[in-house]
Amino acid sequence: MQTNLEKPQTKKYLVFSILGIGFVMLAANLAGQEITSLTTNLLLVPLPGTLVVLSIIIAARFSAAGEHGRAWLLFVGLAASWFTAEQIWLVYDLVYKTDPFPSMADIFYLAGYPFLFLFSIYYLKPLKEAISKKTIICASFAAIALLTPSLYMAYDTDSEISTFELVLALSYPIADAIVLVPALIGVILFFKGEVNFLWSLVCLAIVLNVVADTGFLITSMDDSYYTGHPIDILYLWSYILFSFGVYSHIQIFKRHRPNTKSQCLDDLR
Amino acid sequence: MRCNSIKVTLFYIMPEGNCFVFDATNGEISKALVTLAVEKTLLNMGKPVLDEVQHRLFANYKSYIPDCYEHPEYLKNVLKELYGNCYNNIVQSIKKNLEEFITKKPIEHFLAVISE
Repeated sequence: MQTNLEKPQTKKYLVFSILGIGFVMLAANLAGQEITSLTTNLLLVPLPGTLVVLSIIIAARFSAAGEHGRAWLLFVGLAASWFTAEQIWLVYDLVYKTDPFPSMADIFYLAGYPFLFLFSIYYLKPLKEAISKKTIICASFAAIALLTPSLYMAYDTDSEISTFELVLALSYPIADAIVLVPALIGVILFFKGEVNFLWSLVCLAIVLNVVADTGFLITSMDDSYYTGHPIDILYLWSYILFSFGVYSHIQIFKRHRPNTKSQCLDDLR
Repeated sequence: MRCNSIKVTLFYIMPEGNCFVFDATNGEISKALVTLAVEKTLLNMGKPVLDEVQHRLFANYKSYIPDCYEHPEYLKNVLKELYGNCYNNIVQSIKKNLEEFITKKPIEHFLAVISE
């Protein structure tokens, strides 16, 4: 959707938010691991929280009706699952001071993926005419290329881990590869000039999340991961991109006063 | 030309059971069909999409959806504004809804202009 609805101000706020989060995380990392962990966990309250609020607003606007309505309802499911997961992670990390993997948080993280996949299918549906077989094949190959080493790394991990932990570790790369296909299609459409930047933000956010998950897997394998690791910046950026993507839709489909014949008739009925 | 002068009685039954009875020419019937096809397509996407298109038609051209029958370019421009290069998918959907009536000249013209 290469429309003329892009607002330079929205882009400015987006760049400011991305740079701001990057700067805060950099400063926190310089201050020490404990501060970094606290900062990251605290940032993971308002960022997914904002996403939940924005997704509820857009889903309410579409009243869960129509193709867009169904898509945004699924997005509420995703935002709510990941928000819950982040809060459980925070409690394990800051309150119980234990390793949050594996925990209840993983169930909510994984529960978000079916919502995300179905949402991206509905999100891309209006663009199906612009999606060629070549684009689908390219996106699928890229997803498989990412999945193979990730699966290998997850499987080749410490043999002392339980079957449950192994299943969880393997679930993430598989789920990531599945959601990566529609997300990459969205990004390819952006580079082909078929869709505008704000529209493609949701797809870019998914790609960023997948990259972050791969980074998390690699750093977890060599035990170098801690909450607030620079790889977490990608998760935070992904929430920002998601939020701006949803916000741009709220801006486009804002409520209007009745000024048309049919709207006046609707009010009279 | 003679066909256009034939009056047809239309019954429009509203969801609440109220009923309008009015006479319509062939041109008016085609206009109603086009309006319904456009509204149905946009409603399938979501009520806010229909609202937004109606709002932009009014804001840009002081027109309503039925007016797009005479000025299909208004609808085309608004859809392009909203959906950019991908508005074709919506046009395909409108075409599908008007499939049965595509042989009617004015409807054919309407579809040709929005598909250009």
